[in-house]
Amino acid sequence: MPSRPLSPHLGVYRFKYTLTTSILNRFTGAALSGGFLLLGYWLFAVASGEGAQQRAQQLLGSFVLKLFYAGLLFAFSYHLVAGIRHLVWDTGRGLERAQSQRSAWIVGIASVLLTLVLLWAFFCPRGAA
Amino acid sequence: MAEFRLPPNSRIVGGITHPKPAGAAETRTVRIYRFNPDSGENPRLDTFTLELKSCGPMVLDALIQLKAAVDSSLTFRRSCREGICGSCAMNINGVNRLACTTALSDLKGEIRIYPLPHMPVIKDLVPDLTTFYAQYAAVKPWLQSSTPPPPDKERLQSKEEQEKIDRPAACILCACCSTACPSYWWNSDKYLGPAALMAAYRWIIDSRDEATGERLDALEDPYRLYRCHTIMNCTDACPKDLNPARAIAEIKKMMLERQS
Repeated sequence: MPSRPLSPHLGVYRFKYTLTTSILNRFTGAALSGGFLLLGYWLFAVASGEGAQQRAQQLLGSFVLKLFYAGLLFAFSYHLVAGIRHLVWDTGRGLERAQSQRSAWIVGIASVLLTLVLLWAFFCPRGAA
Repeated sequence: MAEFRLPPNSRIVGGITHPKPAGAAETRTVRIYRFNPDSGENPRLDTFTLELKSCGPMVLDALIQLKAAVDSSLTFRRSCREGICGSCAMNINGVNRLACTTALSDLKGEIRIYPLPHMPVIKDLVPDLTTFYAQYAAVKPWLQSSTPPPPDKERLQSKEEQEKIDRPAACILCACCSTACPSYWWNSDKYLGPAALMAAYRWIIDSRDEATGERLDALEDPYRLYRCHTIMNCTDACPKDLNPARAIAEIKKMMLERQS
């Protein structure tokens, strides 16, 4: 038998609400694991005395990393809200096409709102971002 | 492990552009995946110009017209042309559906037609469904009962019992759902996929079937059932408006309930 080609998949399938919410859940989960590495480093630095603390502050205080923290807050928010959606699904509810379409929008909007709330709570009271 | 890139022999290389029919007033551009097993070449994407005036309303009509008028070697499966045989399932404008129940007027812009995703291609739009059918057979889609049937009548069901299996039993095995599922793409050798699992569900909840325990035992496996991550592409794609995602969720619930 001649070797048969594999038909195109990811490259041609449309990214509808289904694929998009699922892949975002994966990515945000992976990003959170990356964030934990930084958190681990920071805790070590705090526990290791003043020199290490100052070095950590210089390293972790860069603008690029601050952007990354904002991204992490979104990752946290999205993964949390999407996780709740999966919990509801696991009870057998919300699985009709129209319902899951609606809950995809709810997850998107709720996670952005939660991110904004967290950003405000973390950065604004001190007046400087 | 998931292989995101197509293997070298599967990548689309080039394609033929067929000339526009002379004097055609209203036309649509249709791009179609082509693979000829006898050529030894990679698949290509051919461009056709469809003349709308002489064409029926559905994508299947367009394929039939292009085969008749432009390229007689264009190969696809079709039979009933009314959405009940499931033969003409293909990927149309990025979504799996039946060519015979998809109206050309519902598709915007250029029309792109590929075979069902992540399947071995026999020719053009004809995928090899051997694994898919084997998975269906693996869930033993027939009545299993140790009690002999009543001698003078059928095994009866109440109206409610019948209604439970109405929708899952309406599956036409077109494979739109399974081949829309990324979990199935990456693990089709171990994960049964939405179509086979909905068939399993249909027999698990059948009031006349007595093999519920064995059926659930056979699905208790990290891959066969639990590769479903509720992506919902199956339910979104189903041309019969059935709900494989719900069927799988119900099976997972039954697995939990029988443990407690």
